[in-house]
Amino acid sequence: MMHIPPYLQPGDTIALVCPAGYMEPARAQTCIETLRGWGYIVQVGRTMNSSSDNYFSGTDEERLADLQEALDNPAVKAILCGRGGYGLSRIIDQIDFSAFEKNPKWIIGFSDITILHAHIYTNYKTISLHAPMAGAFNDGGAEGVYVASLRAAMEGAKTRLVCDAHPFNRTGHTTAPLVGGNLSLLAHLCGTASEIKTKGKILFLEDVGEYLYNVDRMLYQLKRNGRLEKLAGLVIGGFTEMKDTTRPFGQTVHDIIRAVVEKYNYPVCYDFPVSHGGDNYALKHGMEYTLIVGVEGVMLEE
Amino acid sequence: MKRKHFLSSLLTAGAGAALPALGASGRRVAPDPTMVRPAAPRVPDYLTKGDTIGITCPAGFITMKEIEPAMQQIENWGFKIKIGDTVGKRDFSFGGSDAERAADLQQMIDDPGLKAILCARGGYGAVRIVDRLDLSGLSNYPKWVIGFSDITVLLCHIHRNLNMAGIHSKMCNSFPDDWSKAEPVQVESILSIRQALAGEVIQYPIAANEKNRTGIGEGLLVGGNLKTIETLSGTRSDIDTVGKILFVEDTGEYLYSIDRMFWNLERTGKLGGLQGLIVGGFKIKPDDPGEEFGRTLYDIVLERVKAYNFPVAFDFPVGHQKNNYALKYGMSHRLTVTAEKVTLEDHI
Repeated sequence: MMHIPPYLQPGDTIALVCPAGYMEPARAQTCIETLRGWGYIVQVGRTMNSSSDNYFSGTDEERLADLQEALDNPAVKAILCGRGGYGLSRIIDQIDFSAFEKNPKWIIGFSDITILHAHIYTNYKTISLHAPMAGAFNDGGAEGVYVASLRAAMEGAKTRLVCDAHPFNRTGHTTAPLVGGNLSLLAHLCGTASEIKTKGKILFLEDVGEYLYNVDRMLYQLKRNGRLEKLAGLVIGGFTEMKDTTRPFGQTVHDIIRAVVEKYNYPVCYDFPVSHGGDNYALKHGMEYTLIVGVEGVMLEE
Repeated sequence: MKRKHFLSSLLTAGAGAALPALGASGRRVAPDPTMVRPAAPRVPDYLTKGDTIGITCPAGFITMKEIEPAMQQIENWGFKIKIGDTVGKRDFSFGGSDAERAADLQQMIDDPGLKAILCARGGYGAVRIVDRLDLSGLSNYPKWVIGFSDITVLLCHIHRNLNMAGIHSKMCNSFPDDWSKAEPVQVESILSIRQALAGEVIQYPIAANEKNRTGIGEGLLVGGNLKTIETLSGTRSDIDTVGKILFVEDTGEYLYSIDRMFWNLERTGKLGGLQGLIVGGFKIKPDDPGEEFGRTLYDIVLERVKAYNFPVAFDFPVGHQKNNYALKYGMSHRLTVTAEKVTLEDHI
């Protein structure tokens, strides 16, 4: 039985923390103001105003403490991450989830935050939100559909997304829990205590800035870990800013993915709007969804 | 008889592959290294003059012309060469299709007349064919598999599944066209391949480094390309490192990514039970502007191994560089790190 954290209502408190890479405090202002405008109390974590002069938004101890406080504070109903980057691998095994387990709350983010989603899904059977983060509120994002989808999801609206058909799609339909996130992180978690068992699940994947050969290698890693074989469905989001080697790989990222899963029969769709490229709707990680991949289009409905 | 030997070696390899137990907190607990005694590896016969070495391309493509310097040198050493079908084949970056590369390597694995299989070059592609391979030919007719970088996949896979020794070294694409223009370390690195094949002692010129952590460790030497090791995590080619000496090298990775890979080693239980850690060459990709990682490779490694006591040696001559000496993969070694010098000895 999965635990669904209580949905948010105006007046609730949302904590903003930065558990991975450094973020300019100014980059979070629009997000803070927007959340307040929606009627929430915003508790801005210390890692959002970090004096760090390096890559991280604070030392491991500082990032851990800030996240831990938000997890432990019963008044906090959701934890929205400022940004991803890199850093959760360094603290994930030191986080104490005992208070979170008793009082689950929404963990919101993507990219490096994939580690939190995977870890709490596998170890604490808790639903979380794979969604835009604080930075995505800037440059008009706060009024856009993706931030709106985050608000709707955390306030309890059922997610229903549609997208166009892609020539590579494999039609079919299924109803199963939806799990996944950033491919690099899912590969990096293989063999660790945070890894997701994907059998019978709808897996969604996205990535950014990777070499094509490396996308192939990571998919082989998932495949060789048995993580692609018994899926209920596969949702491929954006694979943006892909890079190639001097000796061209000779396949597009869609060719690569299609080849790796060609032996299986589950439905597959491509170019789903979850990505680092801007198109990034909120998805409830771990929640049961119906995926319909039809000739005309694709629907993913909670 | 041979079949029996094969089965028993598989069983030992399987038992050795158990990961450290999960503690009550869910974190991996480092086992007591004195409790773990990895089984002695199977060592293929060393080569003598007249023996044959196969050359194949399990990953990236290479032309016939590009392997000529290697062929000349290997023939000078007194060995015969069998050129695989994949040499000169090309499927974009690969040395032939997956089926062609797998078939070529399989045929060499099964060939009782071969004493070694030299991979022509790395690149990418071994992981796409490794599960198609039937290793029983290698078990029945043990032979040295030679290579590094992407070939880490094969070295790990053979160590994990057969507990058979291999050679981690430069490949055909690193043999100089003109020996008179090659740097001494490059020449020595190439010559160390012959030494490894002949079972001779290799003297590694290892500079002392003030960042090293002193100590002595003994165990099977395993490792290879760090990124490749990470991408094998959880698969049936993943290596168990408990009671062993681990060596790692990499090229073209960001510092943050190297840090993340060391965390993968930690979180998959590959650091806790080590007898020693050897850090080879790391060609680091410069940080993107505004994404400065603020830690050096030394910082990353030393921070990660702080909780343990095994010796750590930096700047070992292994990696994507001219000084890349042959290592006897999966064989027993002693690593001695003092303030003045570092030695790595086999035949212990």
